[in-house]
Amino acid sequence: MSKTSILIAEKSCLIRKGLRSLLQKIHNVELLPTIVSEEDVCDFVNQNQPDILIVNPDMLQHNCIDLKKKLSLSAKMSLVLISDQKKIQDKHKADGYIHYMDGQNSILELIQKLINDKNQNSTEGKSNETLSAREKNILKHIALGLTNKEIADQLFISIHTVVTHRKNITQKLGIKSVSGLTVYAILNNLISMDEVK
Amino acid sequence: MRIKANLKLADVIQMNYMLIPVINRFGINLGFGDKTVAEVCKENQVDLNFFLQLVNAYHDQDYFPKEELQTIPVKNIISYLKMTHSSYLDITLNEIEQKIQDLADENPADLKYIELIRNFFEGYKNELTEHIMHEENVVFPYIITINEIIVNESINTTNKEIFDSFSIEEYADGHDNVEEKLMDLRTIMIKYLTPPSNVTLYHSIIQDLFKLEEDLNYHSRIEDKVLIPKMILMEKSVKNLF
Repeated sequence: MSKTSILIAEKSCLIRKGLRSLLQKIHNVELLPTIVSEEDVCDFVNQNQPDILIVNPDMLQHNCIDLKKKLSLSAKMSLVLISDQKKIQDKHKADGYIHYMDGQNSILELIQKLINDKNQNSTEGKSNETLSAREKNILKHIALGLTNKEIADQLFISIHTVVTHRKNITQKLGIKSVSGLTVYAILNNLISMDEVK
Repeated sequence: MRIKANLKLADVIQMNYMLIPVINRFGINLGFGDKTVAEVCKENQVDLNFFLQLVNAYHDQDYFPKEELQTIPVKNIISYLKMTHSSYLDITLNEIEQKIQDLADENPADLKYIELIRNFFEGYKNELTEHIMHEENVVFPYIITINEIIVNESINTTNKEIFDSFSIEEYADGHDNVEEKLMDLRTIMIKYLTPPSNVTLYHSIIQDLFKLEEDLNYHSRIEDKVLIPKMILMEKSVKNLF
């Protein structure tokens, strides 16, 4: 599973740092450098395309619905608004809201839920972490040291398909390098140790 | 908390033990009694400003004094990076290697899996060594040359050749992915391997891998955020000079 990147944009340093250290408790999260000034928000979001943006509406120069539209078109970003105003929900539309008075658990639950939703979307239709027979077959060929082109030729499929399979394998196993995949293949008896090289 | 010149270095280390290898790279040994950061730096002829910036950048992930770090002379940054490199090559990697070897010696029944880990780690070690050697033999001499050109405001055939032979963009491009294998190794050890009989040693290897990864991240942060931007500016000014 890939890491979920979170960007915090908030003027108050207490809130910013506090929120940041709170979110560090969540597994598999990457916290991007926090943003202090309103000018930087749009640029930074476009540049880094975080999965989740937690922003104080005061930091947004324009109407925040516009921001959401503009930004989430390119990236599937979740927008969370953080504020000390009680009726923030009525004013702006967002995927989640954090109020300054919220307790630790409700904040963590909200963010965790957004992460889970995101991960479910990206693996929709695939049986979660186990490899399909086809993927195992591809993995075996990768472990034997074949290139994408060679695998495509041998299995009569396009290179594009091989690349897609590879991406899914890496995502499911959490292993990126060829040598890592080879070790996995040996451990799971897809190939024997003597077959390597 | 920000680390300041008038703090006792002993207190700083008590606060964050990850700084022990960092101060060691500056040539500072433990046993400094009640001396302050400033005193210890003076004694060891370490640039106080550089020391403070670097230690703070290590200590607090949010603290990255880009501008202040940019003011530090290239020579100092490079000599620090070189110290870091040699601590990886001469100490950290060997330690992990030795632990894997110990695992293999311990119980022949585990040998098959240990062998897999060992080969994998060797592969990683070679890759990292190659990466470091490239930096030391190509990138750093290049940077020092550029620096000389700017300081002396003169260019001759020898250093022009070096200037033309490389660009920092090349370096920035090839600067990812070294940690990929390292991450894979710990994923495999955590998720997919049946632990050998000596679990204590096995766990300690995994912890070492995490620490190495963390340290490498800080290390690349200095390279990516300080050295590379600085070099881009310097390359520009050399081009403007001539």
